[in-house]
Amino acid sequence: MAIQIINIPRINDTPADFAKLFVIWSQALDSSGEVVFNLSECAFLRPNAVAFLGGLARLLQARGTSVDFDWNTCRNGAVKNNLEQNGFADKFGHPSKTRQGESIPYRENADMNMNEIMDYLTDSWLGRGWVHVSPKLRDAIVGRVWEIYNNAFEHSRTGVGVFSCGQHFGNCNDLILSVVDFGQGIPANVRNFFHSQQVEQDQVEKLSDAACLKWAFERGNSTCPQGVARGLGLDLLREFVHLNQGKLEIYSNGGYAIADARGERFINHSHPFEGTVVHITLRCDEMLYQFRDEAEPPF
Amino acid sequence: MKLLIREKIGPRCIIKEDGQKVYDEIHDPLAHGDIVTLDFREVAQFASPFFNFAIGQLLKDIEEEELRKLLQLENLNETGRLVVQRVIENAAKYHGDKDYRKIVDGILRQQAKDSD
Repeated sequence: MAIQIINIPRINDTPADFAKLFVIWSQALDSSGEVVFNLSECAFLRPNAVAFLGGLARLLQARGTSVDFDWNTCRNGAVKNNLEQNGFADKFGHPSKTRQGESIPYRENADMNMNEIMDYLTDSWLGRGWVHVSPKLRDAIVGRVWEIYNNAFEHSRTGVGVFSCGQHFGNCNDLILSVVDFGQGIPANVRNFFHSQQVEQDQVEKLSDAACLKWAFERGNSTCPQGVARGLGLDLLREFVHLNQGKLEIYSNGGYAIADARGERFINHSHPFEGTVVHITLRCDEMLYQFRDEAEPPF
Repeated sequence: MKLLIREKIGPRCIIKEDGQKVYDEIHDPLAHGDIVTLDFREVAQFASPFFNFAIGQLLKDIEEEELRKLLQLENLNETGRLVVQRVIENAAKYHGDKDYRKIVDGILRQQAKDSD
């Protein structure tokens, strides 16, 4: 059986880093035998990379490909420590105990277990004390972030579930969450929907991935079966991120959407993949938050 | 009629299936002109899928003004109120029979402008 060795480099969360992930996706799916991920060149892995690589490994396994992370090649102590801390290592052949730290657990959700996911967001992601927010505000945030998981399970047709990972970066006081699925992708879903609504195929095919993402972002737009008004999830999340002066980024097929303090941009990128990554950055600054009816000052 | 949401659904009003349970219980009384009260005491977390199905769906055959008179929401915190407001606005504008050919034409025109 042919063994494909794929090197995992240093991966942050800029667009160029996401491009590295999508190239790895393409290489891995081209493999017909065993895939071994080599970590010798990996000096850093942000949570987007952890969630993506974990999900990719499960996708490959579901397709009958044997997958191995070569832990002997992971010589960077900080990387190994992080992957042990967040539970990723234990899930992929390197038995170790998860530990409290700046990492938020790597998580695999095969199906939409609402209480499990909400407990993860409430306790493991936001409830760790990095963000000094009231319980009320904490609940408001996790309710908005839930919309990502709902969209992933409802729309993506993912066969292997949804993968998450997060981290708190103390130096810049950012709280990050990445949610990944390897379903059809938002642009593909939008095109399929338009085609099902009797729009001619040649017209549908002209729609760029960025244009499809932009349509999906608009309040009230939904590809769900007709009958009940929907299409608020992304809009609610975007609104909250804007208020927080954080950032919401979505990579799906060949499209990239970013919503931040500057507004929204929708761009076509050069490394399309089948799936969706939602990457949120929140600022841990309690002065940015307050409900009108909260009696106490934030901190 | 009064429905204690915490008892019926739990402390989280998140998923559409739970919203449908609420809708199934309150639709007929509202359609007959009865006042219905939903008490959200001790419900802490909210998301739009729940309200799309619990409340937004009601606007299919109950006018918005009538619904606002008949449906009372108690002990709903600011987060919940904001989501409900958004859901009602969205549902009131919803039309199931959109012309998607026109919509796609519009997107393609904008796409052409953006690439100029």
